[in-house]
Amino acid sequence: MFVIDTPCAALTYMAIAHMSSRHLDRELKKGSAELLILSLVEDRPRHGYEIGQLIELRSDGALKFNVASLYPLLYRLEKRGWIRGRWVEKAGQRRRRFYKLTPAGTKVLAAQRDGWREFVEAISRITGIQHA
Amino acid sequence: MPDFAEEIRQRLAGMRLPPVREHEIVEELSQHLEEQYEHTFRGATTEEEARESVLHSLDQSNLIAELTRVERRAPADQMPLGEPRRTTMFSDLAQDVRYGLRILMKSPAFTIIAVLALALGIGANSAIFSVVNAILLRPLPFKNPDQLVVVWESAAHLGFPKNTPSPANFLDWREQNTVFSGMSAMATRSFNLSGMGEPERLDGRRVSANTFDLLGVQPLLGRTFVQEEDQPGTRVALLNEMLWRRRFGSDPGVIGRAIMLSGESYTIVGVLPANVRLPAFGNWHDQVWVPIAFPPQEAAGRGNHFLQTVARLKPGLTLNAAKAEMETIAARLAQQYPEYNTRIGASVNPLHEEIVGNMKPALLILLGAVAFVLLIACANVANLLLARAAVRQKEIALRLALGADRARLTKQLLVESVMLSLAGAVVGLGFAWAGLRVLTGFIPPDLAQATAINIDAKVLLFTLLVALVTGVIFGLAPASQASHFNLNDTLKEGGRDSGAGSRGKRLRSGLVVAEVAISFILLIGAGLMINSFMHLRNLDPGFRVDRLLGMNIDLSQVKYPDTPRRVAFFDEVVRHVQAIPGVQSVAIAGNLPFTYNGDSMPIGVEGLPDPPPDQRPDVIFRAIGPGYFSTMGIPLVRGRDFTEQDTADTDLAVVVSEKTARHYWPNSDPIGKRLKNVSTTSDAPWRTVIGVVKDVRQNDFVAEPKMQMYFSYRQLRSLMPNALVVRTAVEPMSIAPAVRNAVWAVDKDQPVSNMNSMEQVVSRAVARQRFSMLLLAIFAGVALVLAAVGIYGVMSYSVAQQTREIGIRMALGAQRSDVLKMTVLQSLKLVGLGLVIGLGAAIVLTRVMASLLFGVSATDPLTFLTISVVLLAVALLASYIPALRATRVDPMVALRSS
Repeated sequence: MFVIDTPCAALTYMAIAHMSSRHLDRELKKGSAELLILSLVEDRPRHGYEIGQLIELRSDGALKFNVASLYPLLYRLEKRGWIRGRWVEKAGQRRRRFYKLTPAGTKVLAAQRDGWREFVEAISRITGIQHA
Repeated sequence: MPDFAEEIRQRLAGMRLPPVREHEIVEELSQHLEEQYEHTFRGATTEEEARESVLHSLDQSNLIAELTRVERRAPADQMPLGEPRRTTMFSDLAQDVRYGLRILMKSPAFTIIAVLALALGIGANSAIFSVVNAILLRPLPFKNPDQLVVVWESAAHLGFPKNTPSPANFLDWREQNTVFSGMSAMATRSFNLSGMGEPERLDGRRVSANTFDLLGVQPLLGRTFVQEEDQPGTRVALLNEMLWRRRFGSDPGVIGRAIMLSGESYTIVGVLPANVRLPAFGNWHDQVWVPIAFPPQEAAGRGNHFLQTVARLKPGLTLNAAKAEMETIAARLAQQYPEYNTRIGASVNPLHEEIVGNMKPALLILLGAVAFVLLIACANVANLLLARAAVRQKEIALRLALGADRARLTKQLLVESVMLSLAGAVVGLGFAWAGLRVLTGFIPPDLAQATAINIDAKVLLFTLLVALVTGVIFGLAPASQASHFNLNDTLKEGGRDSGAGSRGKRLRSGLVVAEVAISFILLIGAGLMINSFMHLRNLDPGFRVDRLLGMNIDLSQVKYPDTPRRVAFFDEVVRHVQAIPGVQSVAIAGNLPFTYNGDSMPIGVEGLPDPPPDQRPDVIFRAIGPGYFSTMGIPLVRGRDFTEQDTADTDLAVVVSEKTARHYWPNSDPIGKRLKNVSTTSDAPWRTVIGVVKDVRQNDFVAEPKMQMYFSYRQLRSLMPNALVVRTAVEPMSIAPAVRNAVWAVDKDQPVSNMNSMEQVVSRAVARQRFSMLLLAIFAGVALVLAAVGIYGVMSYSVAQQTREIGIRMALGAQRSDVLKMTVLQSLKLVGLGLVIGLGAAIVLTRVMASLLFGVSATDPLTFLTISVVLLAVALLASYIPALRATRVDPMVALRSS
């Protein structure tokens, strides 16, 4: 199964991300970034900072979302109804906004995973980069 | 820690996000940046470097562009802060309505009280407007009703500006005029229906053959009259639908059948629908119509005035043109027939005005009264809203602080108040509907207009308009207050007590003054009406009203063609009725008081010169039988009553009323004097005065009695008595069936109709006055209650606001009586001011009521004084209760609470 936090995927991403065409870069990044976020809130709700941290951590620093690109993306996913944000207050702490995957988001995630896998396999077949 | 929130807010400022949303984004992003900052800082950079790095990440991608793409779509359902966002009027409105609904549902007690107060006010307006609509505004149920006019003979110099024309005059008018497309004459006539079961008296009319075409009335069955039938000797009749259903079982084969009417056989040619009511003067209940068919002698008569006329203006002709031509024709007739027509003019009036004209002042005054009631209700609700506005001031201050637009806030408050008034209108319509059902029972019968009173589209539209205007009126005060108050002060005070600001206090006090003034005017109006109604009921009609039974017995001319036969019949009837247990006395009468407006003529008096024809006063005459005066309870002042010995063979006798005696024989004893019909030169026989009786109010209960005289029917050839009056020892209606059976024992085909106690008759004679009085009294009562509630509410609120002040005063040694005095005096000042204003306004406004008043001047000091005292007492009570509560304030509690 294709999981986002395998080094291979990260490498693939890097490969794509360093392509010369800025346009392709942005499109791919956008598509993959959605997939990253959806995957991260699949098992439990997380707040924005945590999501950013996890992406950086699990990609060993190869992938990095700054605040200015992460939150617009979160808001867009929320607007589409794929994730849902809620302010949660915990004793002694400031309230934070936690995002969780909605049922609609679950379906989208599954579809995006399939699409992504097909894409990577196609690229691999052409470029000779093999799965680990 | 650097202020990232501010940094983010600056960057977002250009986006003009809804404040709530902006606040959320700032909170979430600044949290993120703060954690990032801490993280970076821990990585051993300097504070400045850490800050730079964090801010750099904020600006790395185009945050605003990305956010704009997501956030531009405005989120739904948010609290309307009144942000200066450009939206359409309707989306604003929808939002305001949603928000208003939430707010109103949050305080159900307030909403219910406000809606009920408004419903009372609006409902009263809708109900009275329904009456006004049906009576004044709705067109008459005829074709092109605005072309229809009534033409009268005008004898203004004799006190008859609208006199019923004589046949010869009518025929000349019809012949000579060029302004009318048609003219029709009508004369009331009753018929005795016999030969088919129980005999029955039917109200009906003789009408010109063109009457129904002229009005545009279509028959239900058969046809209306044709011109050829307008000839003496034709015996055709039209039936009212009601009669046709009741007596003929809705038989469609009734056309062509013969019926016996007053002993003569008529052929039925048509049935008219039940809602066809001829423009009537006191009678709406025609059941039979026959052609008027003037016999030659009648057609030539100019001295006998009994016709009612309706005419239709030719298209395009004005009323004034018709008036001018009719005056010209009348002037010509006056020259041709000076004996009858000297100074007799012709007046033309719109039919609609004829029918509803005299109800107009009363209805308009009632409409004014309910408008006042509504104003008071408005003042009460405005008070409620003001008190609540004080509570909501925090909310409003917050919204203003968050950048709300004052105009938008005002608009939203107005939407709330209009929603209240619309809800009030819906409930009010329910009140109006129920009220009308009760009201219709009290509406005088002659007022029940050709069309029924109900709630139609016009009334609904009126109610909607009233509700909208009402909502704006009572919403303006709180809204203007809300948009004027000082933001800083309110926020500093934390919202406490801020409603007691001088502006709010002035507004509330002003409302109390207005309520007192308006209810004073209403109460004065009602007081004057009640007072004049009392005067009216205390009027002496000239006879003893209690335990007196009256009824009509109209004899058939065919069956009883001459006096001996009539005398024989009536003598038998009197003998039979006299035998009924409970009967004290019984007498034959002609036209009982308040049942008939006719039968009067000038007289010539022996030894006195006849005045010129246009200056002879009319004397009302009645044909009666022996015992009439004692049975009616009309006191005999001089001389004697008729006896059974006064017959056609003895000296012709006459009994005159005191007024007649005073007029003709001011300085001498009238007994033994002689008089005759019309003038001393007429060919009528002389009659000798044998008695003088007290004046009786014959036609009009309100007007001063006119001159009267009485003949014994036994000494008359043409005039027939048509009524029976019975003085009873028991409740008069309880013996009505026995009396009817007694009549039928004499003649089984003789109808007996209009059986009423004279108390009922008199009560009907003042029905209009009672109706107006009742309504005005109800409205004034409602106004008084509303005003009392309003004063109580304002005083309660003001006491609550002054709790701390009172606490301090009492802590400093003020006595309870001091506090009581202070509070009551405060409200008395307002009530006093309201009274003074109301007094001034009432003196001006009650003048319009003068025409409705009787025996009371529009500025009756006693009424004004009584009402002032009543209102003052109610106001005192309404302010005393909160004042009493003020004295129970525990100084400690009051001080601690602040």
